[in-house]
Amino acid sequence: MSAPVPLTTDRPGQVASTTPPARGRSRWLSDRRLAVAFIAPALLLLLAMSVFPLLWALYLSFTDYSATRGGAANWVWFGNYTAILTSAQVHLRALTTLIYVVGAVGLQTVLGFTIAYLISRRTHGRGLLTTLFLVPMMLSPVVVGLFWRFMLDAQFGVVNSMLGSLGLGQVEWLTKQRTALLSLIVVDTWQWTPFIMLIALAGLTAVPKYLYEAASIDRASEWFRFRTITLPLVWPLLLIAVLFRAIEAFRLFDLVYILTSGGPGVSTETLSFHVYKVAFLGFNTGTASAYGILMVLIVIVLTQLYLRYLNKLKED
Amino acid sequence: MRYPRRIGRGSSPGRRVQLAAAAIVLVATTMAACSDGEDGAAQVSAPKAPAAIPELTKDPLTLSFIWFEWPPAQALEKFANEEYKKIRPNATIKVNTVPNANWHDAMFTQFAARKTDFDIAILDSQHIGEAVTNGNILDLTDFVKNNIDTSAYSPYLLAAYGQYPQAETGKRDESASLYGLPLLGDTWTMIYRKDLIGDKAPQTWDEMIAAATKCQADNPGVSGLAFHQANGSDAAAVTYNTVNGVYGGNLWDAKTRKIDGVLNDPAGQEAMDVLVNKMKPLTAKGSGNWFIDEVNAAVAQGKACIAFNWIAASGGLLDPKQSTLGKSREQILGKLGFATLPKQKTDLVPLGGMGMHVSAYSSAANQAEALNFMKWFEQADIQKKWAAAGGVPSRTDAIQSPEFLNAGPFNKVYADSVPRMRDMWNVPEYARLVDIENTNVNAALNGAKSPTDALNDIAKEQQSVLDSSGKKGGGGL
Repeated sequence: MSAPVPLTTDRPGQVASTTPPARGRSRWLSDRRLAVAFIAPALLLLLAMSVFPLLWALYLSFTDYSATRGGAANWVWFGNYTAILTSAQVHLRALTTLIYVVGAVGLQTVLGFTIAYLISRRTHGRGLLTTLFLVPMMLSPVVVGLFWRFMLDAQFGVVNSMLGSLGLGQVEWLTKQRTALLSLIVVDTWQWTPFIMLIALAGLTAVPKYLYEAASIDRASEWFRFRTITLPLVWPLLLIAVLFRAIEAFRLFDLVYILTSGGPGVSTETLSFHVYKVAFLGFNTGTASAYGILMVLIVIVLTQLYLRYLNKLKED
Repeated sequence: MRYPRRIGRGSSPGRRVQLAAAAIVLVATTMAACSDGEDGAAQVSAPKAPAAIPELTKDPLTLSFIWFEWPPAQALEKFANEEYKKIRPNATIKVNTVPNANWHDAMFTQFAARKTDFDIAILDSQHIGEAVTNGNILDLTDFVKNNIDTSAYSPYLLAAYGQYPQAETGKRDESASLYGLPLLGDTWTMIYRKDLIGDKAPQTWDEMIAAATKCQADNPGVSGLAFHQANGSDAAAVTYNTVNGVYGGNLWDAKTRKIDGVLNDPAGQEAMDVLVNKMKPLTAKGSGNWFIDEVNAAVAQGKACIAFNWIAASGGLLDPKQSTLGKSREQILGKLGFATLPKQKTDLVPLGGMGMHVSAYSSAANQAEALNFMKWFEQADIQKKWAAAGGVPSRTDAIQSPEFLNAGPFNKVYADSVPRMRDMWNVPEYARLVDIENTNVNAALNGAKSPTDALNDIAKEQQSVLDSSGKKGGGGL
């Protein structure tokens, strides 16, 4: 039988132990050094995988370096940046990207919020409905692109087949200038509306019920309750979802690559798709680096402006 | 509650030193990485392959190829493993494939890294200039002199798949260097419905358009024509180049490197007009993104009167499992005819196919094996076996052999087309030139640009690519 544990010790709150105390840390291993040792692996990984490539891309963006041609990386100062900013080809892709971002994110926001609002009003089957709506978001964009390519095929696609059964004519979804960009917007909306819906649903669920009860007592109309309670409270959260989607849409590549290859002609070539061509068709690494840096800068500046507006909204 | 002030925070000298040290390490690493790229790039011309094959290893070895995904790739792997293993049991052949649209990127991104997971790159004939000037593939000139019977080939085929600088159409420059050897020959065949337009194939381009127009009118639901129009790879560009050649146009003046004024001369304009205004209306709705597979599908489903496709990709058309035209090969052949392309002002046809090129970054043992494989592959009896296995050979004796001519109804088309072939440019700027042409021809075919504007834009933009070699900054836009 072991010896009884003493009821009192010199230090209240601690039970005396018979085991010897742990060896003290060596003197050079201070709290600060220990902290550095713990975060060093993650920090090194971040430096190697993110910071270094970014700095290297920044350096290359001021040169005429080509990854395949090799040779010396000649310093061209802002030559690449000037060429990109004054290029009619780039302006055309920027306009295409802008139309795409505004169209896709706008449509997704309206649809996503509407679906979330309708789901939030249901009491039964809410979880099942939410799960079903989330399925498209879980698929790979390449897979989504491939099956939509088949569905939108003018000759044997199911979409034209349905239109035909309704007595409507065939539509060249992917090979006409007007319909190709619209098709990209529709496919992106199909996949990413659930993302907006999910965040909007979280916002709608968080609206305190007593506000609606108070409004009911005051005999406020449905529209009045939506306009003065629901929308103002969900709006900041919705704006964050819009921000994420806008950044994603701005760098769209995969759907374009699979669905239209940028065609017809270059009418659905986005900025990201154009950077890919500059980088890997001509292997103009310096120009492609400058192009990429400019795209990052645009996203950072627009995000900052957006976040300021969001903060101001919260303060108000 | 007040928290004690943290030691070492802010702008203490120790922290400054640490930050400065980190910055120096980062900058040094960046500069080291950059200078490493420069060192690797100091090699500006292709390294030479040995004139004789070095001693081969007795250890197990995998010889890797890189190609794009299509039936000849599987045929090559099967054929090589069955036949080459008979003389080299320790060697295994692996043909790695990528989607056609990624073919150039897959090879040249690895070349850019100066490290490849393949030993033999199957380059399109037009890729040679880029690979040679970057020093990515071996110079095989001395090896070919000592090991290959060059007189056994049509000089132009040998030149097209290996020579740089590019040969004049139909010729070979004996003094130029060779960087590759033929693997697979190819050209377009005209595929026509004998049951719809008759047994005799149209002989001129005008006759072909007239036959397609009548066939389309007589057979609702069947389109008059099917051909490549997509803006990926070189699909739409090859289509325009073919019509351009047939109507007497030229892609460029190679000596003066002039495109603007040559491509868009009256012959070029007529070719674009024929393609967009006479041929395109005879194609199926929504066919503006069709390439090899879609054209084959249209033929196999009986939806096209006349189609154009690469011979090497036409084998599946005779497979009853993939066709609605008959339950046996004979039944299908009762409806489908294969012919050389119709003539008009000239009889030119597009040169397709690819050569084998040894990666400069492969190990010495694998380079030696690659050279041995190439020497073995180019022998007369092996070329005939390759023909029987579904390949399209380049040796004249193999092309004329019964093994090849009897292997498929389209093989005679290839044999007859060899003297009529014309290739595109094989300059280092090829990838950009073909992209410009592809996107603009695709735009014209799909109504996004007028034919005249499209052709003038191609000429202007391609000329600027050729002229911009000395430009500082902004290259590639």
